[in-house]
Amino acid sequence: MRPELNGDHVKPSDAEIKVSAEAFEPGVDKVAAPDLKDPRVVLSLLEADQVVAAKQRTHFGRRKLSVGARVLLWGLRIYVVAMLVIVLISAIRAIHPVP
Amino acid sequence: MKRLKKDSSTPSFGPAHPTTDVAAASPIARDLAGLLTHEDVDRARDRWRVSRARWAERRSKTLGRLSVLWLLVGPGVLVFLGENDAPSMLSYSATGARFGIGFFIPFVVLTFVMGLVVQEMTVRLGAVTHRGHAELIFDRFGRFWGFFAMGDLMVGNFLTLVTEFIGIRAGLGFFGIRPVVAVGAGLVVVFAAITTGRYWTWERITMGLAIFNALFVPAAILAHPNWAAVGRSLVTWSPLPHGNLFDILLLILADIGATVTPWMIFFQQSAVVDKGMQPRDISAGRFDTTLGALLAAAFGIAAILATAPLFHHGIDASQFEAAQFAEALEPWIGHIGAALFALGIFEAGIVAAIAIATSSAYAFGEVVHTGHSLNRPLREAWPFYSILLGSACAAAALVLIPHAPLEFIVLIVNVIAVLAMPPALAFLLLLVNDREVMGEYVNGFWENTAAIAVTVVLICAGLGFGIATVIHMG
Repeated sequence: MRPELNGDHVKPSDAEIKVSAEAFEPGVDKVAAPDLKDPRVVLSLLEADQVVAAKQRTHFGRRKLSVGARVLLWGLRIYVVAMLVIVLISAIRAIHPVP
Repeated sequence: MKRLKKDSSTPSFGPAHPTTDVAAASPIARDLAGLLTHEDVDRARDRWRVSRARWAERRSKTLGRLSVLWLLVGPGVLVFLGENDAPSMLSYSATGARFGIGFFIPFVVLTFVMGLVVQEMTVRLGAVTHRGHAELIFDRFGRFWGFFAMGDLMVGNFLTLVTEFIGIRAGLGFFGIRPVVAVGAGLVVVFAAITTGRYWTWERITMGLAIFNALFVPAAILAHPNWAAVGRSLVTWSPLPHGNLFDILLLILADIGATVTPWMIFFQQSAVVDKGMQPRDISAGRFDTTLGALLAAAFGIAAILATAPLFHHGIDASQFEAAQFAEALEPWIGHIGAALFALGIFEAGIVAAIAIATSSAYAFGEVVHTGHSLNRPLREAWPFYSILLGSACAAAALVLIPHAPLEFIVLIVNVIAVLAMPPALAFLLLLVNDREVMGEYVNGFWENTAAIAVTVVLICAGLGFGIATVIHMG
């Protein structure tokens, strides 16, 4: 069982977060390039759900659409189909004018 | 704090959507460490450069700010200059040739304001959720609506891609280059841009090409436009266009379709995700999008100004194609001006072909949950790259087939883009007002007002065109 990841568990005080932060300490004139072979450095630079593995395992859940939203989406779908028919007929007649 | 729902088909792996904390601080950091991909490492490298620039900002505000902006611009500039594509520049050219300087100059500015309203929402969605638009639609609205959205996108993208290759062929045709060579050169550029296996490099190469959209500016200057008339038209929206109402409505629709299209929504959100932008980058993303809109508006208006001499000299440009515009303009803007115009059409086709093919590939990868990043090497994300190259190759091949219905495609492509836009905007608005997805970054009152106004304008324009078409046919 993998541990749960959610906002409540994210603790900025965790030691690993220091990996990249150390380079930005006051008085540091030149920022050293990070060692991206170290996974902790990579993880310290990305947000939790920016990591590909995390994105593959978690998804936003399905949203229940309200009646209004469903009417809107169906209305727009009918609008697109009806308008497309008009456009296609119009374009065909433009290319092959009726004498 | 927003939560993600667990996917029942995958191992129990927590729901989370922290928008401000870094991954290393989470308890699953060690689990993820073994699963890091090439894509993660490249994205972390990009984030490191942004962090370093932000650090530099503390020492030198101006230089540091410029450095941050330089690193974060890209998706917005690319999406708007990509949308200044071959059919769009052809629409602007037809507008200038048929109506000269007047109503359409401020109208084009208005369409870019509409585009800006829409694209700003995609920046927020991408930066906050780290998900592409297609993925979010499937996750939140299910497969039924997802496939509708994808159908609109894929059909629109393919038809638009065909017109890009028509533009590439026509642009180089001005210089006497054979169609097969011109189209082949276009494909080589699309392929070369993706071989780097790095989003950053791809973005900079494409931006480097996109800036040549500015070729329309010297072409416009060579047309010696009446700048006072340009200024007056911007303020007074006049003179109004006269003539056949159907033709005017067709150009209005084509000019809207030259700025606000579904692929732009899908592309920019995916590019923002691929670039690794985070909520703290949203203001830079807005700058990027505004910069793109300003540049594209300026270059679009330049195309109108460049072809305005055809209107003033009474040349009938109603049946012109891209190369014919350049040839017809030669007496007024000279050979150099005409050559710049033709090169501009070629460039517009190339950049849009890259961006639109990438948009299709991103959407495909997001829906089938396969690797969909330009940070992935070819061997690792071959389905993604296959869609990208395959759609470009198919469109290029269609352009070379004798008697293919290219005129038909050119006629309807921008109109279809406008008609498909209201449903795309409805999904965008539902997502960007979804507090579970966006948290504190949901749309505010004014953002919703502006977005709804854009949707209403698009529906009215479509309906107006439909009614005029029915009357015209009768």
